[in-house]
Amino acid sequence: MLNFNTPIIDTKEYSEIKISEIEPILKINLRGKSRDFVTKIGKELSIITPVDPNTSSSNEKFNLLWLSPDEWFLYSNDKIDIKDANVLENKLFNEISKVKLGSVTNVSDHWIMINLKGIKIFELLSAGCPFNFNNFKKSKGAVTQTLINHIDVIIHNKNVNDLNLFVRRSFSAHLWSWMNDSARFI
Amino acid sequence: MFLINCPYCGERDQSEFSAGGEAHILRPKQPTELSDDQWAEYLFMRKNIKGVQFERWNHAHGCRKWFNMIRDTSNDKIHAVYKMGEKPPLK
Repeated sequence: MLNFNTPIIDTKEYSEIKISEIEPILKINLRGKSRDFVTKIGKELSIITPVDPNTSSSNEKFNLLWLSPDEWFLYSNDKIDIKDANVLENKLFNEISKVKLGSVTNVSDHWIMINLKGIKIFELLSAGCPFNFNNFKKSKGAVTQTLINHIDVIIHNKNVNDLNLFVRRSFSAHLWSWMNDSARFI
Repeated sequence: MFLINCPYCGERDQSEFSAGGEAHILRPKQPTELSDDQWAEYLFMRKNIKGVQFERWNHAHGCRKWFNMIRDTSNDKIHAVYKMGEKPPLK
């Protein structure tokens, strides 16, 4: 059962950088290997399942991110009502987990979504990240999993200078502090 | 610090990976028939050579997949990276 808790509830603005926590967002982890599983996700969500590494696909309601050859991360575009989230989770569970096609795990309360906007967001991330953002920032919809200040994150390049960053709840306050501290010097 | 070409995600910094020791160690088919010394040999003894070594690595902070790598331990030059289950491209 979903129980949305927001640890940050804040928005900060610096020169050319805006950082805000966006919650509650529905987030579901999907794992499976078979072709039927991939087809089923696409059918249930009306979305093309991205099979190429470091890519994503989107429709008006959801974004589906490639995490590994047998793992995907689904999140909603907009804030979502708990009842709607439960309906979708149950639907996917019944169609995928129950028939043993793969696994469906609701991770809405496990990951925190932070939105970063502005022309200097990549400078901010590069201050504590080993990932090379040169190609990433040019490709809309690109996805990467990497480390920022030694913290595991998933980054989705939603639009030009508009990123959604996912961090585990227990690290979110620390990453939030680090980002705000670093943004002051950029 | 060096770059590793993950067979799934592409080129990434070494800090995203964790080393998993020597690769291509086969589990004995009949462990119960082995002596303690033979079992210890399989379980604990690993090569730690200076030179080209076959290793297992995990992209721990990325796709979390295991893969194999042929690396020269003396200079960190990576000769090949290949997926689990695939044959090594070098002997």
